[in-house]
Amino acid sequence: MKKYGLFLGCNMPALRPDVERAIRLTLPGLGVELVDLEGSVCCPAFGTFPSSDEIASLTINAWNLSIAEAKGVDPIVECGSCYSSLRSGQTKLLEDEGKRKRVNKLLEIAGKKFEGTAKAHHMIDVLYNEVGPRKICSAITKTLGGINAVVQYPCHTLFPSEIVGFDNPGRPHMLMELVEALGANVQTFSRELQCCGGAGGFTHGAHVDAVKYAKKRFDAIKQETSAELIVVSCITCLMHLDEMQKELNKQGSGDEYSIPVFDYNQILAICMGFEPKEVASISFIPRNSILERL
Amino acid sequence: MIDLSKANKHLWREITDESGDIRNCFNCGTCVSGCPAAEAEPPLLIRRLARMVLLGLEEELLEEGTPWICVTCAACEEMCPMGVHPFEVCLAIRRWQSKKDETYIPTAVTQLFQEGHTQPVGKAQGLRRSVGLEEVPPTIVKFPDLLDKFQTMLRETELVRENDYLFRV
Ligand code: SF4
Ligand code: SF4
Repeated sequence: MKKYGLFLGCNMPALRPDVERAIRLTLPGLGVELVDLEGSVCCPAFGTFPSSDEIASLTINAWNLSIAEAKGVDPIVECGSCYSSLRSGQTKLLEDEGKRKRVNKLLEIAGKKFEGTAKAHHMIDVLYNEVGPRKICSAITKTLGGINAVVQYPCHTLFPSEIVGFDNPGRPHMLMELVEALGANVQTFSRELQCCGGAGGFTHGAHVDAVKYAKKRFDAIKQETSAELIVVSCITCLMHLDEMQKELNKQGSGDEYSIPVFDYNQILAICMGFEPKEVASISFIPRNSILERL
Repeated sequence: MIDLSKANKHLWREITDESGDIRNCFNCGTCVSGCPAAEAEPPLLIRRLARMVLLGLEEELLEEGTPWICVTCAACEEMCPMGVHPFEVCLAIRRWQSKKDETYIPTAVTQLFQEGHTQPVGKAQGLRRSVGLEEVPPTIVKFPDLLDKFQTMLRETELVRENDYLFRV
């Protein structure tokens, strides 16, 4: 059984713990053992220390990675930006001895040490390359029975491919195949490979434009596909695509935008027979249309 | 006309010694073409910011709020044909601005320092219980001694030392 350290980040344990629950329930059943990374902190998110002090930022990356190193595991991460932050921090520290020394001097104050041996893996990477669609197929007890779906690839797992890449950055396919393994019919649309728009300062700094940007995506989904659900594998994509539909409905009339959004582990958990009220209970856009059919 | 009399010709060194070589930028605009934040008003035009850095337009750059609307998708980083690392340039500009003018320092930085997280991870007990999880997750919120050490460590960084009034607990 392959063992990983579950890196929680901030949004998932605080705002969407049903996703955390889904991860903790599904992975062991697929042969992936999870251990906790006790004392971990924010990745750090790009809008925090990476935007104000590089050494402090790398030190926080190293803090998190050192916890995994001490346990002899690689971190497994669902959130795209946590994943990218940890990967980019590790790469920079391994490439630059001077920075590594400065960071280790700071870590010493807290009794920690960074060696660079733990490498973050994204959830899609582990589910596709470690577990594989075939094993997932045989682990589920319910299928999506041809329900039409679209997927949102987390941008932070595609770019920059040199640092974060595991899928084909121009034509990613792993999340799509994972969703197909659950029996869904995955459709594509023109804006599929664009970032969801939820991370960073876009929604806060340019809210009106961010809503317009989101509207273009949902309109493309509605015009070009017959999707009944959106599957993501990033907490930011999940929260943003859910919240933006609520916001668009508030601005418009009624519930024009009402495509339920699921994190992959949530829909996987339901197909494995776990309780929706534990693994998929938090959302603005109701998920009943899907849940009732399973 | 751009007034270069007040330009700082070393600005690119000050800002980008940590990222790619910004001098390779030939203004092609690839970084803008796939940028979600280029759809904002005013748009984030990373190509233009790179010009400002290269020309040394210090005063104008210090006034620029657009680096802060970047969604961090790194599409530009992937597509730039010249190894400029536009996303890293964007973060480097933010750091430079934060250093020159502390009002740029994001409030989430302070929250991360104080709580170890940018969301109320330690205060989600009810929600966590409702989905069958332990009420306090095993992150730093569960280990107050570690949080002390985390803060003691960060107090030794330049940002916290120089802006200590922002980092009181
Ligand atoms: S893509 Fe690269 S070379 Fe082209 S304008 Fe942007 S930074 Fe400059
Ligand atoms: S990383 Fe930022 S600047 Fe680059 S394409 Fe994405 S939003 Fe635009």
